[in-house]
Amino acid sequence: MSGELTKAIADLEENEALRLAREKLDSGEDPKSILEESRNGMEIIGNRFSDGTYFLPELIYSAEILKEITEIIKPALKEDAQAKTSGKCIIGTVAGDIHDIGKDIVVFMLDVNGFEVFDLGVDVPPQKFVDKIKETDAPIVGLSGFLTLAFDSMKETVEAIKAAGLRDKVKIMIGGGQIDEDIRKYAGADAYGQDAMKAVSLAKGWI
Amino acid sequence: MTIVSGIHISLDKRQVLRREGIRQQSSVKPEIMALIDELLASTYDKHLLEPAIAYDVYAISEVGHDSVQLDNSTEIRSASLSSLISGGRELTVAVCTIGPKLEKQVTDYLGGREPLRGLLLDGIGSAAVDSLVQETCRLMQNEASLRGYQSSSPISPGIPGFPITEQWPLFQLVPSEEIGVRLAPSGIMVPRKSASMVIALGEQVTVRKQGEACARCNLSKTCHYRLVAK
Repeated sequence: MSGELTKAIADLEENEALRLAREKLDSGEDPKSILEESRNGMEIIGNRFSDGTYFLPELIYSAEILKEITEIIKPALKEDAQAKTSGKCIIGTVAGDIHDIGKDIVVFMLDVNGFEVFDLGVDVPPQKFVDKIKETDAPIVGLSGFLTLAFDSMKETVEAIKAAGLRDKVKIMIGGGQIDEDIRKYAGADAYGQDAMKAVSLAKGWI
Repeated sequence: MTIVSGIHISLDKRQVLRREGIRQQSSVKPEIMALIDELLASTYDKHLLEPAIAYDVYAISEVGHDSVQLDNSTEIRSASLSSLISGGRELTVAVCTIGPKLEKQVTDYLGGREPLRGLLLDGIGSAAVDSLVQETCRLMQNEASLRGYQSSSPISPGIPGFPITEQWPLFQLVPSEEIGVRLAPSGIMVPRKSASMVIALGEQVTVRKQGEACARCNLSKTCHYRLVAK
């Protein structure tokens, strides 16, 4: 049965994946290994997304399946294993911009990948990011923005973090419709992501 | 000024898939196609689309290098607009929206931990706005025909050469509040599933093919929703 769960998730066979997860749990398998096998499926999904086999709906669908499996095995996990283990992230759409769906998808993908995510919402002033970094000690900040006007807000937010003496304590990623390397340099961020999977891989790489 | 409501928008899955960045329907999992069908049906059952268009037509008094003067003294600063309307006699300013209901439902899905439904319904909303923009263009073609004119391609604030700050003078020219659309301080329209545009009317106006319009867009390098392949 080893690898079947990974394959079921990778092939987006929701009912089969949930059945296998329950079966493994009932047969006494370590819940952490069930979670591990499930996340291996997500790795395959990520590769298929990168090579254009899967699109955003499939990516989100797979994350929902992983979320369901996590809910199934959660009661069997020891308390310490229930805690988010990957790390802390602060995410928000920068001041002046009110687009939320891209940001919400990144939040969801980080969440199912084990990150503790602090979602600040949309139209977030720079100081709110600064305050949240101080409050949570999160080492990763994600700035989202769809419109060109967001570029200045991203730059101002990075500068506010720097002025607060926190720039060396956090890695900052930016994302949105028109973000590229030039915008990253302009904003003073550490990296940019063109999609939710890139945000997850960046965050994993920084932890 | 004219308000048009009670517009029927007919959507098919292909339009929705394009708004999800998917061009090949055959490659999509049946479960996702079934969910799109379900959401399309519920969009109509729950009356989530409330399409409306507000527009007005103004005489053009002067076209400069990077600005256009209307005969009511309003100045619109845009090099892109200037190049579009050389030969234009009148300018239509239009705002259209599908209303706030669909957006609210998307927010509820996302907040309720149903991101796939939220994503797909958002795509349905975007496809609906695309259709409404087409309907607006057809209306402007009718306005042009009535005057013995042609209508230009539409352009909107936010494209290169047409700063989003020009939303403010445009919104002074069209009764957008009557269809429930307002501007946020940044110039973004609320509800977001709205579009604003200007279209020139005249004997000889610029009509751009879709490929050229795509090439001029800010998102031309990265757009997942292009109508014309690169």
